[in-house]
Amino acid sequence: MADPMIQLRGVQKYFGALHVLRELTLDVPAGATVVVLGPSGSGKSTLVRCINHLERIQGGTIVVDGTAIDARGLARDGRRLSARQVARFRTGIGMVFQSFNLFSHMTVLGNVIEAPVGVLGWSREQAVARGMELLGQVNLADKAHSYPATLSGGQQQRAAIVRSLVMDPKIMLFDEPTSALDPELIGEVLRVIRDLAIGGRTSVIVTHELGFARDVASRVIFMDAGRVIEEGSPEQVLEHPREERTRSFIRRIV
Amino acid sequence: MSLNRLARLVWEYREAFLSGIWVTVELSLLAMALALISGLLACLGALARNRLARAPAILYIEFCRNTPILVQLVWVHFAWPAIFGVKFTAFTSSVVALALQSSGYLAEEYRAGIESIEKGQIEAAQSLGMTYGRLMRRIVVPQAVMRMLPGILNQFVTCFKSTSIVSVIAVPDLMYHAGLIVSATFLPMPIYTLVAAMYFLMVLAVSAAVRRLSRRLPTFGYFQVRHAAA
Repeated sequence: MADPMIQLRGVQKYFGALHVLRELTLDVPAGATVVVLGPSGSGKSTLVRCINHLERIQGGTIVVDGTAIDARGLARDGRRLSARQVARFRTGIGMVFQSFNLFSHMTVLGNVIEAPVGVLGWSREQAVARGMELLGQVNLADKAHSYPATLSGGQQQRAAIVRSLVMDPKIMLFDEPTSALDPELIGEVLRVIRDLAIGGRTSVIVTHELGFARDVASRVIFMDAGRVIEEGSPEQVLEHPREERTRSFIRRIV
Repeated sequence: MSLNRLARLVWEYREAFLSGIWVTVELSLLAMALALISGLLACLGALARNRLARAPAILYIEFCRNTPILVQLVWVHFAWPAIFGVKFTAFTSSVVALALQSSGYLAEEYRAGIESIEKGQIEAAQSLGMTYGRLMRRIVVPQAVMRMLPGILNQFVTCFKSTSIVSVIAVPDLMYHAGLIVSATFLPMPIYTLVAAMYFLMVLAVSAAVRRLSRRLPTFGYFQVRHAAA
């Protein structure tokens, strides 16, 4: 069997004295969609933030598509990566945040073409063409020249998803993408994630939307207190959880 | 005193008034230009991780902000020759003292502006593969400048008003000329009232421009994508 796209082995993460990830081990096969569930403070967000090295880890290793991350930083083929190479590594991993984080001084299209032009070196025409195409697919073509502050939360999140997708990353990370949205706006964002953003990419999604998890996940993991408590198919974890903690969590959020 | 006589007085001393106003404007512009640069250096020092860079920068900022402008002026003009071996003209000393004062406040404006940028903006930029230099240049600084501009412009207004102190070391600004005219005419009431009105109108004009500008800032063209129509 081929190596998994993302491989975590005994990952340790501390915030000061707080032990956030406790010897966490997890495989995400290429093309898989892994949904991460768990109560707040269980380390779900930290887990995805370690995969693109927004957070350093203090122990263990993470291998992402051939790049190894450990407590000292990143390495590929046994050689340490420079800050510039770390930045380049991140271009292959899209990330969608709970709070959207669109650049507020740029229009929607400006947000979308910033990295392809500035980081990947595309021509502006090429970036605008691809950006407009994707914005059209999420029904935001008419908002291309609007500033983020004038958009609804659902529109902002769809724009943020396009900003990641335009880079055509191999991996997509979603850190509670709908938790900051009004209930009536959640559906439109989940549809875009399912129909456009995942699209055969390796994806790790932190969410509390169980219906969505059942719909898209190839695997579901349940975390508590920095550990993976339960892991399996959506039916197995969501319908027939083995662990009491998983059962009571699912009861609470349904 | 009749208005007629006041008008004649202004006309008679028009050159003195004009040259005083010019010196005042020149002083505040030069001092602010110097302060914008030295304040930025002080701010970068204060934000540095290296303690050896941070300590002197913070000391400089606190010194500038916590000493009166009159004391700074006299200190630069009369003490620097002995301390640093540099003897400035009264005009240069005034520019330096005003710049000292303003740079302390500007450094704090810069720092507040940069620190006000949400962490999420930086993380989004990082996750898109931007290096530290690029994300500072493209994401943090443009947004910080927008937030700083009203504060910087207000500091300019303060600096402009502070220039009136330089007549103490005989720099021929508006206030200094007013003093000369009063000694020649023995008319302190109308002359000083007139000078107060002049400062009032000039500062009012600058403040109004500042307010207008801050309201319009978010829609400035610089922040638009210029080639979006392509």
